[in-house]
Amino acid sequence: MTSLVPHLVNGITLGLLFALIALGFTLIVGVMEVINLAHGSLFTLGAYLALSTIGAGWFAETAFGAWWLSLPLTGRFFLALALGPVIAGVFGMLLELCLRPTYGKAPLYGLLLTFGAALVIEEAIRLLWGTGEQNMPVPQMISGAFLMGGLIFSTYKFYAAGFAIVAVLLVWLFLERTPYGAIIKAGAHDSEMVRALGYDLSRLRLLVFGFGSALAGIAGMVMAPIWGLRPHLGIDVVIPAFLIIVIGGVGSFWGAVIAAILVGLATGITGAYAPAWSLMSMYLLLIAVVGFRARGLMGRRSALEN
Amino acid sequence: MSKIKITRRRLLTSAVGAAGGAAAFYGPWAHTRVHAQPSMKPIRIGITSDASGQYANSGASDRRGMMMAIAEANARGGVLGRKIETVHLDTETTPATGSRVAERMITRENCGFLIGAIHSGVANAISQVAQKYGVIYLNTNSSAPSEAGANCHRVKFVWDANGTNFAKASVKAAIEKYGKKWVLLTNDYVWGHSTSAATKALLKQYGGDMVEEILVPQGTRDFSSQLLKIQQINPGVVAAAIGGDDQKAMRQQIAQLGMGNKPVWLNNQQDWPDVYGLPLDNLFGLFGTTWYYKLDLPGVDEFVKRYQTMYPDTGMRVPGNVFYNGYFATRELLAAIERAGSTNNIKVIKALEGHKMSARDRMQHHDAWINPVTHQVEQTIYQATANVGTQDKDDMFKIVAHTSPQDAMDSDAAGACKLETYEATPTFDA
Repeated sequence: MTSLVPHLVNGITLGLLFALIALGFTLIVGVMEVINLAHGSLFTLGAYLALSTIGAGWFAETAFGAWWLSLPLTGRFFLALALGPVIAGVFGMLLELCLRPTYGKAPLYGLLLTFGAALVIEEAIRLLWGTGEQNMPVPQMISGAFLMGGLIFSTYKFYAAGFAIVAVLLVWLFLERTPYGAIIKAGAHDSEMVRALGYDLSRLRLLVFGFGSALAGIAGMVMAPIWGLRPHLGIDVVIPAFLIIVIGGVGSFWGAVIAAILVGLATGITGAYAPAWSLMSMYLLLIAVVGFRARGLMGRRSALEN
Repeated sequence: MSKIKITRRRLLTSAVGAAGGAAAFYGPWAHTRVHAQPSMKPIRIGITSDASGQYANSGASDRRGMMMAIAEANARGGVLGRKIETVHLDTETTPATGSRVAERMITRENCGFLIGAIHSGVANAISQVAQKYGVIYLNTNSSAPSEAGANCHRVKFVWDANGTNFAKASVKAAIEKYGKKWVLLTNDYVWGHSTSAATKALLKQYGGDMVEEILVPQGTRDFSSQLLKIQQINPGVVAAAIGGDDQKAMRQQIAQLGMGNKPVWLNNQQDWPDVYGLPLDNLFGLFGTTWYYKLDLPGVDEFVKRYQTMYPDTGMRVPGNVFYNGYFATRELLAAIERAGSTNNIKVIKALEGHKMSARDRMQHHDAWINPVTHQVEQTIYQATANVGTQDKDDMFKIVAHTSPQDAMDSDAAGACKLETYEATPTFDA
């Protein structure tokens, strides 16, 4: 049993990271009913933009770059944590503008468009930052490792898990405790009524897509020091994010969070005891959940089930 | 406008006639190529390197090597007076795509030769299609021992050293130096499995003790549970056969935990594109390679300059082992066509089989040769570690030892490899 405890801790940590990855995806699917296949590319873009912010990017060789790099890494890191996602959010808003002609048509149009956008963003990253592996520097205060129960754990990973908790709570508070959140949720339930009440639904969608994309960018920056950074990193993101919202129940915020933790636990524990099954475990979890409860853990009951 | 009545009889006769005509024209594929192509038509080579997926970055390096060899040959006037043309299709680091790409390159793009692979599953898939058509295929960079063992083919030549070669160069010394208690960390696909099988056999032979084998699925990005497990087992050595993006993520996470020095990490093979540009603390442990750009051997500096002249804008400022294999495989294929005096596949195969390459020519410490029984290039194996303290960002490796091809040879491969006969291999002129 004692040997299981570290793996449970690790699984929960991993689950929180999965929750962070799925957060923006959940928001866009839940509110807009658009499966954003560019989520992974926006995740990667956010990480690359953050990397350039930290390292002064294309200005590194200039006087400004030299001054910028002389500033403490901690300051640059946390500024990047804000700036990278904001720019990723702007890209998300541009994508939403492109998506508008697909609204009201078969979902395949939106899927194809976001898939195409994912390819374009990935290729743009290749052209701008190169194809090789990049390394995201981490401030001293959150890097390194610590001992717990005689085993070494990564300090940064726990920081990232803590950050995920804060991010989840902030998004929840935003959706549940602010008038903007109320409008967004109302828009998801009954868009016609929201429009009838005088709210600009187009602007609402634009902001939600931008917000979801910014969350993808934040997740990208937070995950890059753990997973590494390469142009096709997004591929590793979309599938877990999609599985998580299906397991949790499409449209359910806490369903997605719980599903993410379950996926983390499944991956973490099988990684230790049946490692060959560690990636497969999340698919088995999906089959188990959807097999017994087609709408996912906390998904809304469909009209057909009444 | 006159009406032509199409009866069933007429339709059938026309169809049979058309099919007969097509058969006469296209015929068995092998003959078509002889008749349909004038002898001075460019030689078409299909480049089957990965451009996306787990090995995209290595695939790009592989391709640069091939293209430099082809550019140099074209600058000399081509091969047998014929220019060389290339077609590249992305094999996506996926065996099924590899098969499709090979089929398309041979049947629709009229490629007479195929070159390129990083992923052993992809290489195996391509070589099965290539053998069906008799098209020579150079597996440039995939190093599963099975590639020149159970999955060998008459048309396939394997240019990288394999997992057994690397294990032979390191396992015995590592047992003596770091202890008998080993954990194997194995990528769960053909390269990982066949490499781990070679390591297990050597552990058994030299008295090592494999306490656990941890299988890592391809696409794993988080290694925390595996690393916790390793800490709980507390081995002396971890023999890792993890490749591509998986390995990059793993190295970063091990470095973050400060586990790079204990236990000792023995990475069977370290491809240059997988670590180039990473901080040196990510480059812990011992690892194998077939070439390094700072080897103190004649020709190396000039080779590096040629690379830099041809690729001034690439992010990878110096060539690595993957580029090296891509370059030499292609160059030796073109040289074999010259030696054969023909693009006939069987003649070129015979020109490659048993071919000896001097150490000086290949910029290695020992002469190399193409094993005629397995089609594996038997070559020098280098053991390297991080070049700690270097001021040169490119000079990341410190070569600590080298092993002759005779000592590193995969003796089991010859028993496992059953090459198809020449007669059973379709013949054609490319």
